[in-house]
Amino acid sequence: MSEGHACGCDHCEELMQPYVDRVLTAEEHAEAERHLEGCSYCADRYRFEAELRIYVRDACCEEMSPELKARLVALKLPEA
Amino acid sequence: MARVAESTSESEPRELAIEARNRVRFEEEALELADQVYRVARRLVSTREEAEDLVQETYARAFRSWRSYTPGTNMRAWLLRILTNLNIDKGRRQQRTPDEQPLEEGDYFLYNRMEQAGGASETERVVERLSRDDIVGAMSAVPEDFRDVIVLVDIGDFTYADAAQILDIPIGTVMSRLHRGRRILKRELAERVGDHHE
Repeated sequence: MSEGHACGCDHCEELMQPYVDRVLTAEEHAEAERHLEGCSYCADRYRFEAELRIYVRDACCEEMSPELKARLVALKLPEA
Repeated sequence: MARVAESTSESEPRELAIEARNRVRFEEEALELADQVYRVARRLVSTREEAEDLVQETYARAFRSWRSYTPGTNMRAWLLRILTNLNIDKGRRQQRTPDEQPLEEGDYFLYNRMEQAGGASETERVVERLSRDDIVGAMSAVPEDFRDVIVLVDIGDFTYADAAQILDIPIGTVMSRLHRGRRILKRELAERVGDHHE
């Protein structure tokens, strides 16, 4: 599977980011779905892309400290 | 004339009470979004201290100018707009650093590289070979203009339109920077994955 581009479909590779972002037109989306059903090479890579997005988001999430939260609350304007 | 004066003096306290209530509601809503605002801020700047300063200044400014927020619009985007402007004002950002390196590899590149590197068992997903440090390190290596867009869209969950408004750039620029930025991120990840196996 790893040698070469099994389906030779560069177009499918170009559709991957907008597919995962859900910004393809209905027609393009259907085209990608049809291709993915029959092509495990592309399907593996699409799955990876979607998983990577989640992975990046989780890895980059850092919670704020309770001290900062308290400082923000203290910034509230005094009651008129 | 006397009637007008009278009605003003009567309505003023009521208006003040309404305004005070609106302000309190604004502050509460803004504070509920603080975790999400911090999460984005943390990846827009290099250090935790910078992120904390930036969020604190953002809230100080937001609370002072709460009247310029239009109720019913996206408050999270409004706060992030203040935050990104403050970040630029602080001059912390380096000069624009367009990434000139060619990125001829397509979007399958990182998966192909990781698959070739091997080492995955049947049950392990390829993506699991990336550590948190790999990802955080790769993200901070992406030039700022590209990283801003990735952080807003992929971490902050903003739409392309919101990201365009926050950064004050055309939506087409958001899309092209996002596309290129994700490729740069993958190139950085690939370098880190390569390091593990050498």
